Amino acid sequence: MTGPSFREFLQSLDDAAALVSFSDDRSWDLEVSAITTLANRSDGEVPVFESVGETAIDASLVGDPYRGPRCRPWDHLAQAFGLASGLSGPAYYERIVDRLRSPREPRIVDRDAAPCKDVVDTGADVDLLSIPWPYLHQGDGGRYSNLHTVVAPDPETQWGHWSTHRMMIHDDALASLLLLAGEQAPNLYYYDYEPRAEPMPVAVVLGAEPAVQCSTEMWIPTGRSEAAFAGGLKDGPVDLVACETNDLYVPATAELVLEGRVLPGERLDEGPFGDYFGYMNGPRRSMPVFAVDAITRRTEPRVPFCVEGTGVGYGQNSSSTLQTAAAGPDATLGLRAAGFDVTMAVPWRFTSRTVWVIATDRPYPGYLHELANFVFTTWGMLHIDFFVFVDADTDPLDPRAVLTAIALEADPDADFHQFGVERMPKVPLNIYQTPDEKGSADVGTSKAKTAKAYIDATSESPAEDGPDDESLRKRAQQHLVDAGVSPVPFAHLEERTGESR
Amino acid sequence: MIPFTQYLRGLASDDDLVTLDDPDDVPVDVVAAEALRASGPAIRYERVDGVDLASGTFSGPDQMQRRDSHPWSRLALGLGLDPDAPFVTLLDTITALGPADGVEPTYAGQAASRTVDGVQELQLPRGTDDVWPSLTLGVVSVATADGSHWAPIYGSVISDDTLGVYTPAAVSSLLDDGGTLSIALGVPPAAITTAYLLTVTGRIEHPVQDCGVADNVPLVPTNGGLVPSATELVIETTVEDRHPDFQSDRQEAWEHVVASTPLALSIERVIATDDPVLPVSPVGRPLADDVQLTGLAAAATLYHRVNDYWGISPVEWVLLPAETELGICFVATDVLYAGFEWQLANILFTFSSLFDTVVIVDEDVSPRDLGRVLGDIWVKAHPSRDWIFSESAAPAAKRPRYRQDGETGARLYVNAAWDPRWEDSYIAPRVAFEQSFPGPVRDAARQAWNGRHDTERDGERDET
Repeated sequence: MTGPSFREFLQSLDDAAALVSFSDDRSWDLEVSAITTLANRSDGEVPVFESVGETAIDASLVGDPYRGPRCRPWDHLAQAFGLASGLSGPAYYERIVDRLRSPREPRIVDRDAAPCKDVVDTGADVDLLSIPWPYLHQGDGGRYSNLHTVVAPDPETQWGHWSTHRMMIHDDALASLLLLAGEQAPNLYYYDYEPRAEPMPVAVVLGAEPAVQCSTEMWIPTGRSEAAFAGGLKDGPVDLVACETNDLYVPATAELVLEGRVLPGERLDEGPFGDYFGYMNGPRRSMPVFAVDAITRRTEPRVPFCVEGTGVGYGQNSSSTLQTAAAGPDATLGLRAAGFDVTMAVPWRFTSRTVWVIATDRPYPGYLHELANFVFTTWGMLHIDFFVFVDADTDPLDPRAVLTAIALEADPDADFHQFGVERMPKVPLNIYQTPDEKGSADVGTSKAKTAKAYIDATSESPAEDGPDDESLRKRAQQHLVDAGVSPVPFAHLEERTGESR
Repeated sequence: MIPFTQYLRGLASDDDLVTLDDPDDVPVDVVAAEALRASGPAIRYERVDGVDLASGTFSGPDQMQRRDSHPWSRLALGLGLDPDAPFVTLLDTITALGPADGVEPTYAGQAASRTVDGVQELQLPRGTDDVWPSLTLGVVSVATADGSHWAPIYGSVISDDTLGVYTPAAVSSLLDDGGTLSIALGVPPAAITTAYLLTVTGRIEHPVQDCGVADNVPLVPTNGGLVPSATELVIETTVEDRHPDFQSDRQEAWEHVVASTPLALSIERVIATDDPVLPVSPVGRPLADDVQLTGLAAAATLYHRVNDYWGISPVEWVLLPAETELGICFVATDVLYAGFEWQLANILFTFSSLFDTVVIVDEDVSPRDLGRVLGDIWVKAHPSRDWIFSESAAPAAKRPRYRQDGETGARLYVNAAWDPRWEDSYIAPRVAFEQSFPGPVRDAARQAWNGRHDTERDGERDET
């Protein structure tokens, strides 16, 4: 099958009455993000702002397009990948894990067949300020792009490395990129290109197809290609097209592509910004400079953005949904591939990048320590501070069950384990370090180190919760629905574990 | 005072109660548990054979998502408050049901005036693995020279003549051999809340005539003691055996606070209203009614004790969520000075043996926003500096499942409040609609969002 482009994904949301368009003029200056915040808070439709004031081109803004329904955040993406709607969380994870086990190499298309080349501006025609970048939160350091795919060189794959780094707009051709050492693309810049005084070619892709955006959120081991995993996700190749001004390839159906270079030895202000912690973080720092050489786009591009910081607590946004729906299944597969006997690895619903919950068996003494050690030194190094381990039969997507496990099974005396007090690196986005502790380290991480911890909330004996058999529960749910109770929360009621369409 | 049946009507009129026709192929406790897991409404079971039942009446939706109502909204209604009343108003109201000065009890006729031939005729529900039909959410009344004493009671119908029950050990100590006690089922919400409050505060010996509940719940004498006159069903009994040979697989939540004791009771008389309806709790399952009642009574008690302690009231609220099975205590407070958080956490450990873990959040966090708390504990609290463990010399709390062998261990408090020593500039502003956008932008956004379908509706009207 071929998965939908971003534009087709929006159409499918519209068909499902999950999208609402605002045709009258809206301002990029806080107004679109305020409306999107209300949408996120109320589990409402995805807002599309068709007319944005003071915009040189005919572009729309789309607020948090990947935010899924509160009960099943993965639902929209499941449908985009041709899976049944209404899948339970564990069933969705297994389907995605299966897809990721079969990566599909991308397909190169001619520029004529690439919608992202409808309009090509290079050289003096480049005008970064022609795009209606939103100003997202009062107090942000500037206007931001933060729901995109950064394509960077990868010495080990032909298709480059895909990741996401927020970008603050400075003028018609310059932006600053938040590059935090410890992540693959920043490492390449700080420890390879910049020491050689060589600019690093980069493309920033907005409105890529959902499979691309999902694989951007994944931690793919070096030597493997995000593009191939995106193909696995959609069960078909991702169409790529060559950039105009460098040797990188970008997703052909994207809405908008910025081609350029991260300049060596140059810095511009970046931040503060209300990031995924749900708090404004600062102070303003110096970050690498992205010089834009070309802008290619569809004629009327739809530019997605995320009101970051609204995906914590009860809130959901694109970022929290992508963590749950993409990063979680990827981590589950990655841990299994590394030899760990995990059922699921899931971001904590209330702060998805700081805490993860892993349902796992404990096949031998010391297993949890080894598992924590593995993730804290690999994909969990910079952002994740805590892991909570629960029994293999506890659903980590059910925060009530996880909370109960922590309360009843995690003994403060024996089950809270710290990994070397304040020995670990930390992103400066956190809010528990003082500005002095964050410092202004050249490569992005905080000056002060932090601690990492894991909580063993597994049980010594079977939990009391859930003694009833599945058929009884299903019959009970049917009685309730027949009496008028909403069927939405009942994972057992329908065959939510059904096969892919 | 709101009788139980009136309370059910109120829930129904708020669309918070759904009626089921006798689901005879599934045990009531399974249906009740599913409704609670789904954060659904309270359920009334209309039964052809046997008495009507109601579950979820003292529970409510979980706090794992933003919802219009809260776990305590139903009980607030039952206590005569607006379901949206501030949480601490509910805590104050619960506390006011307990021991008080100047109480003038009122008395009224017995609503349960019909004699029931046998308790088995009621067809009380039988749980999935139960041998006998069970009764839950009962209030036991025992008379002494001081007055009548109330506490929770639950158990099994062993025969038309015999009940096997569990009640706080303190109740048993008030009884003589062969003493009488009455079990009231389907009492006004204020009455069952009082029974739980007196139990978790260890004040069962305090007569209800001297409790605030008697000010607004009319009472009536029975052979055991005073019960609410608006009780749906009263079972008058005598103690047959103080050391009976039976054991329950499950515990009502109050048993994590105080010791319980089994009693075999001989049934003397059963009286009921014409069409009684009785509350049931899916004991042992998540979010069960007895857990919510225990958690709210314990929270009310702790809230008042800590705020009475230092001569000022720095604590905004205390919450023992049913989602933690009462194994974690959350408290929002003004951190008066550096180290106050240590003092507060440890005084809570002193006042309650339910939990080993306390989470402290800033005073501006709403008790209706547990989602924010469940983010802040990981984001605001430093993983090493703000997760504070005591030395391993504390007794294990009663609710958790670990360390049931009497071994001592550590307690933990998580300080997710800002450090009062920090400069204001260190405090990161929250991202939130109210904080991240100026007033005019908020107004415009609300107008746009709330009116987002107006054009479509206008269009539809035009087409017609």
